[in-house]
Amino acid sequence: MPAMQNAYPSTKLSVHDTVKTRTCTSCKKTISPDEKPVIFLCPNCGKVEIIRCNMCRKQGVKYVCPVCGFVGP
Amino acid sequence: MSSEESRMKSEIESHALELLVPIDQYLAAGVHIGTYVCNKAMREFVYRIRPDGLYVLDVRKIDERLRIAAKMISRYEPDKIVAVSVRQYGHQSVKKFSQYVRSKSITGRVIPGILTNPHLEYYMEPELVVVTDPRADQQIITEAFRIGIPVVSFSDTDNRIDGIDLIIPANNKGRRSLALLYWILTRQVLRERGELMPNADLPEPPDAFETRIGGKA
Ligand SMILES: [Zn+2]
Ligand SMILES: [Zn+2]
Repeated sequence: MPAMQNAYPSTKLSVHDTVKTRTCTSCKKTISPDEKPVIFLCPNCGKVEIIRCNMCRKQGVKYVCPVCGFVGP
Repeated sequence: MSSEESRMKSEIESHALELLVPIDQYLAAGVHIGTYVCNKAMREFVYRIRPDGLYVLDVRKIDERLRIAAKMISRYEPDKIVAVSVRQYGHQSVKKFSQYVRSKSITGRVIPGILTNPHLEYYMEPELVVVTDPRADQQIITEAFRIGIPVVSFSDTDNRIDGIDLIIPANNKGRRSLALLYWILTRQVLRERGELMPNADLPEPPDAFETRIGGKA
């Protein structure tokens, strides 16, 4: 059991890290963990998450839904 | 009716496009009347520039964005939505929207920190913000930006779009225009939720969404 107890947190940590890695839908850059991007389902189809980094959001950079092609904002 | 308006109307009629309300109702409320300034980001929503320099918005694009905004709003829990209008002209529209949609609302001044300072008495934690006028409602947009929650906003041709995640192009200056826009948006949200049948109307007309100034219509 001790071995499993050791393995469990590290597995959890790596899953956690994968979830944390986010890419901006507009500029495709990886968003740093300390940044708070906006995340919402595509307004049109609702099938995929749109993620906008602070820079793209601030500058009103367009985003395109990879599923339905909706162009926002 | 101006030549731009009649041209837009005949284009819509010739394509038998179905709008959320008849084109004449849109035009009478002036939802398409922009301003004499147009920001680059708002150009895609402009139909034509009148000879006197006024930018006229495309009613088809207003209609399309109202539908899309309603779909987006309907995906959120009602009490996780907050609709905002600092300017008086939008107060009644926002109150009625919130009443029917069962969302929160802010009419009047936005207390700084309302979304960012948990120690405030009026602190709230919405998941979606609906904005009437990006200029007047800048404070809530800034706070939504800071905490990373999406913003849907009516935007006129002269509005900046930074911090906005979904634009509904429209005349957000006039009382009648705001009343009709919020009335349509409200009805469409309820239809999307299945709380209203696809062709059903609200129990009140758009007039009920209009802010009365000094007791007059
Ligand atoms: Zn970006
Ligand atoms: Zn989509």
